[in-house]
Amino acid sequence: MAAGLKTIIALSFVLAIGFLLVILSSALFQSYLTLLVVATYCIAPLPNWICGRCANPDDFMESAGSAIVDFGRFCTGFLVVMGVALPALLAHCGLIQIPAMVMSIIGGLLIYGTIISFTMFFQEEQDF
Amino acid sequence: MSSSRLFRFPKPEWLNSPNTRTAGVYLAGALFSLGFFFFIDASTYSKSNKNGGDVHIKFVDWVPGICSALGMLVINSIEKTRLSADSYSYSGTGVAWKARLVLFLGFALMAGGLAGSVAVLVLKYIVPQYSFPTLYFGVANVIANGLIMLSSVVLWVSQNIEDDYTYNLAL
Repeated sequence: MAAGLKTIIALSFVLAIGFLLVILSSALFQSYLTLLVVATYCIAPLPNWICGRCANPDDFMESAGSAIVDFGRFCTGFLVVMGVALPALLAHCGLIQIPAMVMSIIGGLLIYGTIISFTMFFQEEQDF
Repeated sequence: MSSSRLFRFPKPEWLNSPNTRTAGVYLAGALFSLGFFFFIDASTYSKSNKNGGDVHIKFVDWVPGICSALGMLVINSIEKTRLSADSYSYSGTGVAWKARLVLFLGFALMAGGLAGSVAVLVLKYIVPQYSFPTLYFGVANVIANGLIMLSSVVLWVSQNIEDDYTYNLAL
């Protein structure tokens, strides 16, 4: 039981704060482009999960399997940086304001951190 | 293994761990994304209301980035073990030669992309003496191509780390 009840409560609290920040950043400034950050961070762990299913991690000699895993990791890295780069791009081009950018970046990082922590806890439970 | 070393300083231990390799692949994706969004930022800025001048990003500015991305795809889709395949008797004739030819094409595409971005910067933005908000389009193009090249280098190096790791495991 790596993930206790307190951990789950704290993580859901952090997730709610993240969503609150992102929704505020879009609703306060009447520009709903920052909601793209939520979409980006929600699909960021997906390539890793899908490609992890495709490859068999047990055989070390087979080099064909690791290429798919690498591709998934590459896509995940791409999407994580995209979640930070997208609000910065929108703010630089004048489509959203600077406070909206800061709020959506912080909120997105909180959401992504929650997703990653949940995955880590579940993986630890699967090992035993 | 230590007797056949080339350099005086030993290779650090953490370079051989699979964790370093995973981090390298993530870092490569992050660097590629950073470069890509530098260029997307420049082209969005050129079409936005903030752009005062009448110089816009056209298809010419996109060509170096497309070349770099294609070169990265070609380089990293080659099976690395085939590059030294001629020393084994069971591999087919000329496999290593073909692999090296394709690898050369990939490197030529990537270097051509970087050089092309510098050429666009000089010919389109520096020679007509534009000031900075317009000059940023060319600079961002060079930064984007350099970051894509760096990402490809990181990916290449971290995939070679895995070969060392499996080799150590096999012995």
